[in-house]
Amino acid sequence: MTWWLSAIVLFGVLTALFLVGLPAAFAFFGINIVGAWFYLGKEAGLVQLIRNGIVSITSFSLTPIPFFILMGEVLFHTGVAMKAIDAIDRVIWRVPGRLSVVAVVAGTVFSAISGSTIATTALLGSLLLPQMLRRGYHPNMAMGPIMAIGGVDMLIPPSALTVLLGSLAGISISQLLIAGIVPGVLLSLMFIGWIVLRALADPSLAPSFEHEEMPLWERLKPLILYVMPLALIFVVVVAAMAAGWATPTEAAAIGAVATVAVAWIYRALTLSNLMKALMGTAGISAIILFIIIGATTFAQILTFSGATNGMVEAVRDAGFGPWTVLIAMLLVLLLLGCFVDQVSMMLISLPFFMPLVALYGFDPVWFGVLFLICMQLGLLTPPFGMLLFTMKSVAPKEIAMRQVWHAVTPYVVMGLGALIAVMLFPPLATWLPKLLFK
Amino acid sequence: MKPYALLLRSLAAAAAVLLGAMAVLVTLDVVMRNVGLGTIAWVNEVSEYSLPVATLLIAPWLLHRNEHVRLDVLLVSLSARAARVLEKTCDVLGIAICAVFVWYGIRLILDSARIGSMVVKTLAIPEWWQYALVPVCFSLLAVEFARRLRE
Repeated sequence: MTWWLSAIVLFGVLTALFLVGLPAAFAFFGINIVGAWFYLGKEAGLVQLIRNGIVSITSFSLTPIPFFILMGEVLFHTGVAMKAIDAIDRVIWRVPGRLSVVAVVAGTVFSAISGSTIATTALLGSLLLPQMLRRGYHPNMAMGPIMAIGGVDMLIPPSALTVLLGSLAGISISQLLIAGIVPGVLLSLMFIGWIVLRALADPSLAPSFEHEEMPLWERLKPLILYVMPLALIFVVVVAAMAAGWATPTEAAAIGAVATVAVAWIYRALTLSNLMKALMGTAGISAIILFIIIGATTFAQILTFSGATNGMVEAVRDAGFGPWTVLIAMLLVLLLLGCFVDQVSMMLISLPFFMPLVALYGFDPVWFGVLFLICMQLGLLTPPFGMLLFTMKSVAPKEIAMRQVWHAVTPYVVMGLGALIAVMLFPPLATWLPKLLFK
Repeated sequence: MKPYALLLRSLAAAAAVLLGAMAVLVTLDVVMRNVGLGTIAWVNEVSEYSLPVATLLIAPWLLHRNEHVRLDVLLVSLSARAARVLEKTCDVLGIAICAVFVWYGIRLILDSARIGSMVVKTLAIPEWWQYALVPVCFSLLAVEFARRLRE
């Protein structure tokens, strides 16, 4: 079989399995069973398939994933997250579009603590959205920022998906985690700028309301009490990795234990909510890891079938310039992002992309950040952006999916802007890791 | 709760507790190393093994609660009857896939145990221990798909 025929058959069957609604992990299991039979030597191939799958997730580079997720889960289930939002709500006043700005700032703070984008969106959506709508905010003004900032969660460490990308693509995990900070914060600032401008241009979008008068100390106290310790955890986790005191796994474990300790100090920790947080953690981690068990061998089968080499050679022989190839890869990612989940996106594309990254000599950390921004946009782009569904599920019944799409559009445009900016000015991604990892 | 659901939930809870214990152990190791109490050599290795163990323990519970990521685009756009046919197709495919994993998982375990392969890092363990949960997990997953098929 020629390489392109193998590629078409493998991807064709995989797509069909996805479309009939088989869970993503099982779709990969299915195609791998077929592929292993033909390319890895029948029965021996099937035995190998299972061995590979288990060995692939028995990896120290993946152990930060559950710990990063645990940090966020503990905050959500103990209610500490709610206290932090209230605190942020108190210190932001007299800003046009105040509650939308609160959503972005609170979302950014959570990004710095939680490793899970969906949890962030669900929490902010269920907490702030009803309040905004009650205050007469336009639904676009209310829903857009919450979804947008949920996506940014992926860029700002700790982030489970960044760990996964680094691990699967062979990019330094610590450097990649830190490289996301500048673009992530930049996006948050762009969102705030946009909200303020929109609210100034048309105050009816976000009616201002009287905020109760209180002394400055009263305003700042909750911030110091409930947000500063969380910020401190973030600094410790990032600093421990950057200074080389701890591996990403160790930094993540310390962060998780510190978060539990903070919840305990606030007297917010009970055995029952700790168990809920742990169950949530195990669930989210296992969903990710189960897809990896399924998909690792997929890359191997693609190699054995000749599809990977064939594709890479075809691109090389076609004599495309590096920019053409880079832009083509990003377009493929944006397109994939509209249809499949983030983990599957990585597993489908990386076997082809990383050889091309090596061939063209792209900086892997820079490429990794571009990849992350594409995945973040994938969370927000119709028809199947995960955060759109998350928002729809927490929004009032009368809000239609079309309105959710409409609300997120400006933020998708800003995300594309950030993608182009990082593409044209690589230091946006590479400056901070270079500075910290001399 | 029915015994079946209780079983799945208990396995899931075991996975949750395992991951929590790992966070504590890894932290303890870092602290001990930095205050000069030496290091717990096996922690890194055990935390690696905990990933597949936790995943296999909780996977059936996740399927039971329909939490595995899936694309339901076709399902929601089809008529109720066509969607039902599609769902059943999925369940049958699921059972077939699980059967392959159970069968070849057992083969893998038997082969590995027969040769006596060991994984030697800090700890030395028989290789087949790593795969012991595979047939258990996929049998439960198959039961879950079969249960859906009958609904």
